[in-house]
Amino acid sequence: MSGVVAAGAHQTGESVIFWVLAVASVAAALGMILVRKVVYSALLLAVVMLSLAVFYAVNEAPFLAFVQVIVYTGAVLMLFLFVVMVVGVSSTESMVETIRGQRVAAAVAGIAFVALLILGFGHATLPATTGLKDANAAGGNVLGLARLIFTKYVFAFEVTSALLITAALGAMVLAHRERITPKPTQRQLSEARIRSDRVSPLPPPGTYARHNAVDMPALLPDGTVSELSVSPVIARRRGGTHEDLHGELPEVAAKHEATTLRAVVERQVEVDSKVEEKEK
Amino acid sequence: MTGHYLVLSAILFTIGGVGVLIRRNAIVIFMCVELMLNATNLAFVSFSRMHGTLDGQIIAFFVMVVAAAEVVVGLAIIMAIFRSRKSSSVDDANLLKY
Amino acid sequence: MTPGIIAAADIPAPHLEYGRLAPILIVLGAASVGVLIEAFAPREYRYWAQVQVALLGLVGAFAWTIALSMSGTPHHVAAMGAIGIDGPTLFIQGTILVLALLSLLLVAERRHEASPFTAQASSVPGSAEERESLVAGITQTEVFPLLLFAVGGMLIFPAANDLLTMFVALEVLSLPLYLLCGLARRRRLLSQEAAVKYFLLGAFSSAFFLYGTALLYGYAGSVRLSDISAAISKQAGGEPLLLAGVALLSVGLLFKMGAVPFHVWKPDVYQGAPTAITALMASCTLVSAVGGILRVFYVGFETLRWDWRPMMWAVAILTMLVGAIVAITQTDVKRMLAYSSVAHGGFLLTGVIATNKAGLSGTLFYLAAYGFTTVGAFAVITMVRDAGGEAGHLSRWAGLGKREPLLAGTFALFLLAFAGIPLTSGFTGKFAVFQAAVAGGATPLVIVGVLSSAIAAFFYVRVIVLMFFSDPAADGPAVVFSPTSTAAVAVGALVTVVLGVIPGPALHLAQSAANQLFVR
Repeated sequence: MSGVVAAGAHQTGESVIFWVLAVASVAAALGMILVRKVVYSALLLAVVMLSLAVFYAVNEAPFLAFVQVIVYTGAVLMLFLFVVMVVGVSSTESMVETIRGQRVAAAVAGIAFVALLILGFGHATLPATTGLKDANAAGGNVLGLARLIFTKYVFAFEVTSALLITAALGAMVLAHRERITPKPTQRQLSEARIRSDRVSPLPPPGTYARHNAVDMPALLPDGTVSELSVSPVIARRRGGTHEDLHGELPEVAAKHEATTLRAVVERQVEVDSKVEEKEK
Repeated sequence: MTGHYLVLSAILFTIGGVGVLIRRNAIVIFMCVELMLNATNLAFVSFSRMHGTLDGQIIAFFVMVVAAAEVVVGLAIIMAIFRSRKSSSVDDANLLKY
Repeated sequence: MTPGIIAAADIPAPHLEYGRLAPILIVLGAASVGVLIEAFAPREYRYWAQVQVALLGLVGAFAWTIALSMSGTPHHVAAMGAIGIDGPTLFIQGTILVLALLSLLLVAERRHEASPFTAQASSVPGSAEERESLVAGITQTEVFPLLLFAVGGMLIFPAANDLLTMFVALEVLSLPLYLLCGLARRRRLLSQEAAVKYFLLGAFSSAFFLYGTALLYGYAGSVRLSDISAAISKQAGGEPLLLAGVALLSVGLLFKMGAVPFHVWKPDVYQGAPTAITALMASCTLVSAVGGILRVFYVGFETLRWDWRPMMWAVAILTMLVGAIVAITQTDVKRMLAYSSVAHGGFLLTGVIATNKAGLSGTLFYLAAYGFTTVGAFAVITMVRDAGGEAGHLSRWAGLGKREPLLAGTFALFLLAFAGIPLTSGFTGKFAVFQAAVAGGATPLVIVGVLSSAIAAFFYVRVIVLMFFSDPAADGPAVVFSPTSTAAVAVGALVTVVLGVIPGPALHLAQSAANQLFVR
């Protein structure tokens, strides 16, 4: 793997990769901090991370390139996406400034910071690139890394175990709910059901010809909306005023459905009566 | 090429830092911190190649492990506050001040 | 392909000096035992088992630390050079362990109410579920292993001899603290908010620490402090990398100790966190952070001190002044103590800037003295209680001295020690660091320090006046005595007085610890 990118022969190849992916990653990073939707931010971060994985491969770090894809993009970013989905995929952020001029000040500070760093790098006389050919020679990149992990950095490696236990314990503390009351048995559940107002199943949501969304309420025979037909979780998520697929309010949509239905039924009645007349 | 990578990592690091300052959704702020850590890793990896030692790659590897643990704890805390307030905006977290 | 066989023969077995690492390993081991108790022990036994394991772990680690410092074997780096166990480090580790024991007394507190921590962290504040778990009387005993993990990280942080170990230790000490901050029993929304703020700002600052590390690695080709120091004296070229690296690394370090302008998290987190955890953060975390700063600046950047000193001067002056001035406007006791802790960070930095043996020993003494006083002060806060938990607002403390003269008197003693009045440990500590700073050529800093002390004395005395010379409200807070928190207050008060009246032995101990300097 280390032989794939030899320093000299692939210099032009490397600069092409660099310029393409550098532009892409900076654009994605800028997009990440500027777009309003949280999901887009997460996906743009994925673009940056994948570009970095390619940079690692080019920089003679094949093992890290894979770890970047598997651990960072694969696990860490997916965790982010899970949380974004729980919080609400459509969640956007209001872009109104609470502290006036904060954004401009942050941008100015950022530009000053990066200009200072780049100027510094320009003045720093970096030694010539040695390349990792020698370091990767004895047994390859992975073996070289293993040698360091289990000798020079063995203590840090062992201490990370404390970190991982803390993370697992912390997630348990904040997310695990212990059952305080005993779990109701099947019998208790059925008895509670019989004693409740409604023994029969709840009405299904209004999946009609024009709508098949679970957040469309069903219509009762008298044309009114049945609140019970939509799961309260979904109704709450949409703030109670869920729009239908055509951008109408639920009441309007339900009324629309009702008129359509009535028209269809009336037409059918008309057709039926015509058929009856003909038969006579 | 090391200089190029360094400049790129500085730019990405700064973008992440500015993101932390201007965004108000806790999840996005945390993603910006992750961007900063990634930029740091890029610097480590390119320095590693420059010096011809694998130490930089090891450090980048450790950073990934630490970041993974940090993400677990951080997202658990953010979820906890989201569940009690139905908002993940840091502007709504304003009970403590003065 | 037989890479496995090659690997086994090729990698030499690392050599770990278990005897020298024992304090760290004992604490982390006790934390792991705590996790196992949490997993397998029935709930009714958990609390006692956890308290015993935590006590045993901390006492055992402290005893081992004493044995290590008495053994007299020459100090050298341990764990393949990753850890430096030496005089100053042993002093710092011992201090952290004793202060952690005192904080543990507050964490294990059960007399005031079922526990200072939430019954169930996963239940939404104010929900029926939360009420149910409160009624059921369950408690979140996971706080004990989390506390031990945090203490383990604090022990490693000042001992870390390379920046990678230091970074990992920083996270090991921070992650449990982020979690613990959000677990208060009362005012849970505030507590969760404190956890989010601490977490986001902490992660932000550790990114700066890491970028600084990256630039220093680029400069020196290694993250070991001694190698960086050697590269600096060789003047390898690439100074901009070095200077930027030092600056960014300092941001991460100064954040942990809460120096201005990186102090903004401190009042919010101190106020929102459970008071037992605030005591832990105000004492142990500060000691550990300053220990790390001492090692980095004394071992890594000592030869560079003409470059970092101006920056540290500015930070120290700002920290002393802002901490003291903003504290005056505070109306919450915990917030006031948080700003006072910021100001004390500035005094500690004066000792760091001195960069001489006296500065080192002065800072060590100051850390121990301040740690005991602050744990005692926060222990007093846990005892002054209203119907809704601790009486945080200063106005509620009015007239406390007339109703509970003993407790109010002890609190007044702590405040006077914070102000640096003679015959308290605070005076001796300030005297030690200021003397070292004058010797190190930082006289203007000392003048600012004295000025800041005078400003600070104003608001400390104001609180004392409030407690003793105003009339108590009819529905004023009650003082709840309990064996554990009374013990913490008593130890804090005793040490504050002893270090003030007969500081000789402790000063001598700090001096002999500092004489050995840091190993490289």
